[in-house]
Amino acid sequence: MLKRIVDVLQIVALVSALVFVVLLFANEPDAARASSGKEIFTANCARCHGPEGEGGVGPRLAGTVVAEYPDIEDQEAIVRDGRGSMPSFRDRLTPEQISAVVAYTREDLPSS
Amino acid sequence: MAVQTSAPGPAVSRLAGPALVGAAVALAVGVYGNVHDPTGEALFTLFFTATLNMKAWLATIVLLLAGFQLLSAARLYGKVHIPRQVPPWLGQAHRLSGTLAFLVSLPVAYHCLWSLGFESDPDQTRRFVHSIAGCFFYGAFASKVLVVRSRSLPGWALPAAGGALFTSVVVLWLSSALWFFDTVGFPEF
Repeated sequence: MLKRIVDVLQIVALVSALVFVVLLFANEPDAARASSGKEIFTANCARCHGPEGEGGVGPRLAGTVVAEYPDIEDQEAIVRDGRGSMPSFRDRLTPEQISAVVAYTREDLPSS
Repeated sequence: MAVQTSAPGPAVSRLAGPALVGAAVALAVGVYGNVHDPTGEALFTLFFTATLNMKAWLATIVLLLAGFQLLSAARLYGKVHIPRQVPPWLGQAHRLSGTLAFLVSLPVAYHCLWSLGFESDPDQTRRFVHSIAGCFFYGAFASKVLVVRSRSLPGWALPAAGGALFTSVVVLWLSSALWFFDTVGFPEF
């Protein structure tokens, strides 16, 4: 009985592995969209700051960054150079992309 | 005068197949993670509060199942003698735990690959080590599946493959779930 369960489960595992591979490629994002602030945020910032900027490993951004960094250049400098445990994005994002993602966090993240 | 011709280590050379398949799988996972643009998007969370919390706990389940794999294999091959009699179901339980560990690892790996991608910057030590170990895990898993089904390999091949697989699980857990519990909090469901 247990052998039959394991046999069935191994078939399920094989099918799951195939589905896993198909999903990896089926959900490939459109690279052309990565120029928008939201796309850049999703690709680079959401893993730590949360998909909606609500915070996670990194601090909350939604509704807080304008008050914390009244001068937008101060916030851009942190993204560019890093601070504390936050890595520098100097080599990953262009200055235009940094400006776009910073603008997104200030203008488009939900404030509550 | 007789001339002896001998194949160069036939048993060892038969290991080349599983090793090459494992290397190919690990390489494919790494290439995908490196080439793919990370989406940064969350997955389902089951009953956890966030994807990372779910991943930390699923990784812990994989570690526990891998621990059972190690102990049950040690008993099946007579390396430990507890319990004194090998339970008749232990072999199937060993297979079951390995299959479940693989299944439980899939959503974790999916989020790592699809959402976060491969960390190629060695300065990001934890993520870099985790990325390497993740690729190695699936390569070692593929190799072990082939080794366990082969009857003609050296006796040390299976424990070596299993040991490599277990080691990769431990490294993966240390560089992800332990970091999460230590940094974000425990139990942090």
